[in-house]
Amino acid sequence: MNVQSEAKRNFSRRGFLGLTAAAAAVPLLAACGGGSSSSSAGGAIKFWDMPWATTAYNDAAKKITDGFSGANSKASYQIIQWNNFYQTFSSAIASKTGPAVSTGGGFQAFQFEQQGQIAYADKVVDALKKNGQFDDFLPGVLEPFKSDKGYVAVPWQLDMRPLWYRKSLFDQAGVAVPTDWPSLLEAGKKLKGIGAVGFATGSGAGNNIGNHLMIMMMINNGGGVFTKDGQLDVMNDRNVEATEFLLELVSNGIIDPAAVSYTSDNLDAQWKNKKAAFGMYVLGVPQRVGDTSGDLMVASPMAGPHGDKATLVFPNNIMMYKNTPSQDASEAFLTYYMGQLKTLWQQKLMNALPVFKSITELPEFASDPNNVKIVKEYQPIAKTFAAQGTSLNANLAVLDGGQALNQFTQTILTGKTDAKSALTAFQSGLQSVLKK
Amino acid sequence: MSSTTAQSGLARARRGLAPGGPGGGSRTHNGGLNRKSKLSGQTKRTFFWLLLPSIVLLVLINGYPLIYAGVQATHDGSLIDTGNFVGVDNFATVLSSPAFWKAAQFTLWFTIVGVFGSWLVGLGLALLLRTKIPAGGTFKVLLLLPWVVPIVVSSTAWNWLVATPDSLIPSIFRNLGLGTPLFLADPHLAAVMVMVFKVWVSFPFMMMMISAALASVDTTVYEAASMDGASKWQQFTQITLPMIARSTYISWILMTIFCVNDFPTIYLLTGGGPVDATTSLVVLAYRSVFQDFQTGPGVAIAFLMTLTLVVVSVFLYRQIRKSSVE
Repeated sequence: MNVQSEAKRNFSRRGFLGLTAAAAAVPLLAACGGGSSSSSAGGAIKFWDMPWATTAYNDAAKKITDGFSGANSKASYQIIQWNNFYQTFSSAIASKTGPAVSTGGGFQAFQFEQQGQIAYADKVVDALKKNGQFDDFLPGVLEPFKSDKGYVAVPWQLDMRPLWYRKSLFDQAGVAVPTDWPSLLEAGKKLKGIGAVGFATGSGAGNNIGNHLMIMMMINNGGGVFTKDGQLDVMNDRNVEATEFLLELVSNGIIDPAAVSYTSDNLDAQWKNKKAAFGMYVLGVPQRVGDTSGDLMVASPMAGPHGDKATLVFPNNIMMYKNTPSQDASEAFLTYYMGQLKTLWQQKLMNALPVFKSITELPEFASDPNNVKIVKEYQPIAKTFAAQGTSLNANLAVLDGGQALNQFTQTILTGKTDAKSALTAFQSGLQSVLKK
Repeated sequence: MSSTTAQSGLARARRGLAPGGPGGGSRTHNGGLNRKSKLSGQTKRTFFWLLLPSIVLLVLINGYPLIYAGVQATHDGSLIDTGNFVGVDNFATVLSSPAFWKAAQFTLWFTIVGVFGSWLVGLGLALLLRTKIPAGGTFKVLLLLPWVVPIVVSSTAWNWLVATPDSLIPSIFRNLGLGTPLFLADPHLAAVMVMVFKVWVSFPFMMMMISAALASVDTTVYEAASMDGASKWQQFTQITLPMIARSTYISWILMTIFCVNDFPTIYLLTGGGPVDATTSLVVLAYRSVFQDFQTGPGVAIAFLMTLTLVVVSVFLYRQIRKSSVE
């Protein structure tokens, strides 16, 4: 018998087919088994966190997570990118491989609560009452998370939308920083005369600042998209007035005619290149654009034509999920993590307001006069997307990232509309996607 | 030489025949390809069993998501919970929505310009690179860059070129006294800009496909046509285009699929705006599912897109077969 026939005998066609089928079956069986795996392998609490700031933030958050040992459990840390984060969370939760505790989108907890996936945080709130942190919360930051069934999540940072100005441009234009809408109009015209943008914003790819500006101006005028009891109320007089004012700013060129296409990078460049003189933006603009000369400063909140003062805030939160190896361990971890938050601000890693008074008093935070001004002047008047209402809900996620608000914003920024038509389209767009 | 002689010469050339009579090409076209191979029953069974694992894997990998998507398209739930069965309600909702038809219209124009724009540019450059130009190799590499560079990088670069009134291109227009066009802020200009960007990203692919097809065309065919008095234009339309027809149809099918399914080119440059001016069907589907959390209607849009793509692809595939027969 030659070598070839020997090989043929040892490795028959049927044998080969069997081997192939077995090889194919391995990943299939592995895939089938994936769905039933526990949320937290080995009993450790899976904590999913977003890239809230630089990588140094995530390193510090991981260190805090690794330091947890309570309720006979440990915790593991996982960064989840913002791109398609909702899909990431949804897929993981559906396959029961999601986190036990996570940060995430501002209204994510309410979306998953609606789908029965959230574990209420009442026991964590009780624990915070016991350790004194409950009384340390800034006023009004915890209430929005209380639903009929319990606390849906616990806030850990506030993403505020203050007004910023570049002092040198106002000096150059010889005009005072706006304190109300008429003075914004007047200042904007003079700033335009020196080639500056009087009310900087943007609504290009991936940039939500324009959307936030629309809602901010509505609630700054005592309006908003929802009533106190959460009913849709787009067409109220205050909203019409605010929209008309925004259109006036556009028609006067005080809002940049190209703002509709500005990405966050374009907007940053305007602030950095001394083109933007005034506008609503995020916290830490000087650090963000690399100009800490003191020329970029927080302005005081403007008053609307009826004397209302308000800005927009997104209370970012930490939520717990029902799929956990131990609810006690999840609660212990969240309580522990809330107690460690100050180290993030002590290391100056956060680009957001803390939720605890004690952190706002830390020298590392209070040494920045802009931070102090935001805490003192903006935090007390800040409102959420719920506007006149106090509690958050899943519908706000649709408002925040949805097409209706984005289309409304872009329609206003292009200026080719009137206030009532734009608001009518906005209302009908929202009605078609909001859950009843 | 009369035009009749030139035409007959071109006809011979297209068939791959030298002026003097049939050459090697005739054997290539006629030799053995029509022979129907007859496989024994045992061999057929062997093939079947060999293919079975791959078929099972393919059905599971492609079939499961398709079936699950079908379930989502006929239910009113979310990504986690499929919700209640609603039949074809989601399709009816989508088809009665003006936003869908606006997006369909943009997708059509985006695809037409993307396919034929990139094909024309690719064809022109492929023909140019066929001639002996200095530093041709370097040019080839440089011309491939738009295809090679990650779309995130190129969209950012294009944004910086055109986004603000002070960007390079609007500044050039201003300095030429042509005003300051807002390329991404004006709905019409933004639509044009996205299509131009798509052509820029895609032409290297077309160039490569056509270059490969041109390389297989025997240069003696052109010599034969030239001897018969065919002009350069006649050689291009009567020899080059028919000879690359097969590759052309394949590249059109692929580019049609690339264009209809293209998400990053549009989303990174304009996000679908301003005011939905550049919202394609795939962007609309994404927004419906992940921004409005309307899973059923969003998946229904994706289904309708797939259906359209299948019809277009089958039509173009038939064209390929027809061109092969010819």
